[in-house]
Amino acid sequence: MQHRFVGTGDPVEVNLVKEGGAWTYEGQRLEQYGERLKVTLADGSVHLAHAAKTGDVWWVHLNGHTFRWERMEAGASTKANDGGLTAPMPGKVLEVFVEVGQTVIAGEALMVLEAMKMEHRIVATSDGLVTAVHFKANDQVTQGAPLLSIEEIN
Amino acid sequence: MCINVLVANRGEIACRVLRACKEAGLGTVAVCAANDEGSLFTELADRVVMLQGDTIATTYLDQTQIIEAARSSGATAIHPGFGFLSERADFARAVADAGLIWIGPSPEAIEKMGDKMTARQTMRAAGVPVIPGEEVEEIDETAALEALRLAAERVGYPLLLKASSGGGGKGMRAVHDPADFEQAALGARREAVAAFGDGRIYIERLLSGSKHIEIQVLADAHGRTVHLGERECSVQRRHQKVFEEAPGPTMTPALREAMGSAAVAAAKAVNYVGAGTVEFLLATSGEFFFLEMNTRIQVEHPVTELVTGVDIVREQLRIAGGEAMSCGDLLIRGHAIEVRLYAEDAANGFLPAVGPLLVFRPPEGPGIRLDTGVREGDDVTPNYDPMLAKLIVWAPSRHEALQKMRRALDEFVVLGTTTNIRFLRELCDVPAVVSGTTTTTTIDDEWPNGWSPATNEDLVAASLLTASAAESLGLHQRTKAGASSEAGEAPSPFQTITRRFP
Repeated sequence: MQHRFVGTGDPVEVNLVKEGGAWTYEGQRLEQYGERLKVTLADGSVHLAHAAKTGDVWWVHLNGHTFRWERMEAGASTKANDGGLTAPMPGKVLEVFVEVGQTVIAGEALMVLEAMKMEHRIVATSDGLVTAVHFKANDQVTQGAPLLSIEEIN
Repeated sequence: MCINVLVANRGEIACRVLRACKEAGLGTVAVCAANDEGSLFTELADRVVMLQGDTIATTYLDQTQIIEAARSSGATAIHPGFGFLSERADFARAVADAGLIWIGPSPEAIEKMGDKMTARQTMRAAGVPVIPGEEVEEIDETAALEALRLAAERVGYPLLLKASSGGGGKGMRAVHDPADFEQAALGARREAVAAFGDGRIYIERLLSGSKHIEIQVLADAHGRTVHLGERECSVQRRHQKVFEEAPGPTMTPALREAMGSAAVAAAKAVNYVGAGTVEFLLATSGEFFFLEMNTRIQVEHPVTELVTGVDIVREQLRIAGGEAMSCGDLLIRGHAIEVRLYAEDAANGFLPAVGPLLVFRPPEGPGIRLDTGVREGDDVTPNYDPMLAKLIVWAPSRHEALQKMRRALDEFVVLGTTTNIRFLRELCDVPAVVSGTTTTTTIDDEWPNGWSPATNEDLVAASLLTASAAESLGLHQRTKAGASSEAGEAPSPFQTITRRFP
């Protein structure tokens, strides 16, 4: 069985192999007993795994680490956004420093957001040209909302 | 007299206070904004009064509405918790004027300590050492900025800008380069005006390499003022504490005595009655300086409770009722560590995170205390502070307490919302934390380019295996069927993975 997930980096294809009562992938082994998932790592250590899904995202806890894997339907695009800068958290726009048509340099402050009474600066990740500004001061933004678009200048 | 206590707060501290009241045999009232309906703390109170309003200002900060809630529910006392109205002298006064008991120090004491600039002046007069710096009283922005710039030249760089009404890292900026001064000052003012309605800023010399040590004090109305030893809270991110312990790992009996006496002198200087905390910076030179006094119960009070055996909230209730405090001479036993569980993305600049708590499974076992405001099935929203819970451990020695904390954090399962659990776990292995030589810059020193989780390929592969297998097994489709167990019921013995018996 094949699954496709994306975490913080590139998408990963998982080819799941079922051997007897266990599932395996890249030398790791998983067995289900009762309500529980038991994982045996390649080094032989055994751990209880916890998994829960919300939307398309599987959350997994294993040996003190928590992972977040977004499941992708086969063939789905992996591009989250095209060079746009998105709101890292829900909040309010306090100030916008740039206008459409303006050139910015990497690291330049573009916008200030406020959430939970803390200010957060949105900065340019590369040199570029501002092609769109989607919000103005005092607008509310949701998490992941595209804030501005910047066309990269090489 | 029958005392009913209204807790003018929410989340984990409301739970802590409501439970203490219940233990003391007092009646309890919770107040609750619409977006907190059904929260854990509302279930711990005898009565709940809904607050009308859509913002914090019109709910938990609405003094008139809260006092009216106390009247209508028959409450005779108000406990403010921390944050919100806890350090508002005008509220303490309004509570007393309404004929209610205020569980906290007098409005005068709150005023003198709450305005950080006044506090610095009061402490200087009482002979308590304060950090070198200057206060700027100008209100007008242009004049204030100019006065601050001149003061900054005199104090010298690097320096800290702090809001006179500040706290919790809000309205605070570190400035290392004079070129950054204006932007930092404007940002600090703006944050201070937004959070406290007061843009006055003062300047302190930034004493790098310092430890943050605070002394818990208790004072009753019978003239007794004592200290309960220190807490070390040096490990901070964004000027907010994340890891606190008692006793301080480098503390000596002589220094504890000196700092304890200074804290008691600070409390006496404002005729303090109740529980309070005097915060100090301990410089590398061995000198200590008054930072501020928090005139309320503090987030990290549990570590002091675990090593001294004193129930500080219970003492607050006793003192507010006019009784003498019950604790005897200071006796420190073993070591306690607290970590703050935040819904935040530590790998992404500690940004607040939101989401459902699909799984919330805290660790258990001897020496573990969890003070939580949430439980499984709750949603983490952007409406309030992202602190979800505090995990506190006690063990006979510091070494064992750290071992216990590592074990507890490894066992702590939270799924559905990003938390700082892994960050806290890695913090327990940082050499400065292991050796107890932490300073206020430990996190920045350890991870100058920001933190990201250390992991290994096998674990990543195994997590992908788990997600894939869970998907193939259709485990997510059982979530709804399992909803009854989330509500606290045991799963039905007649229900198995593949078959359900009627």
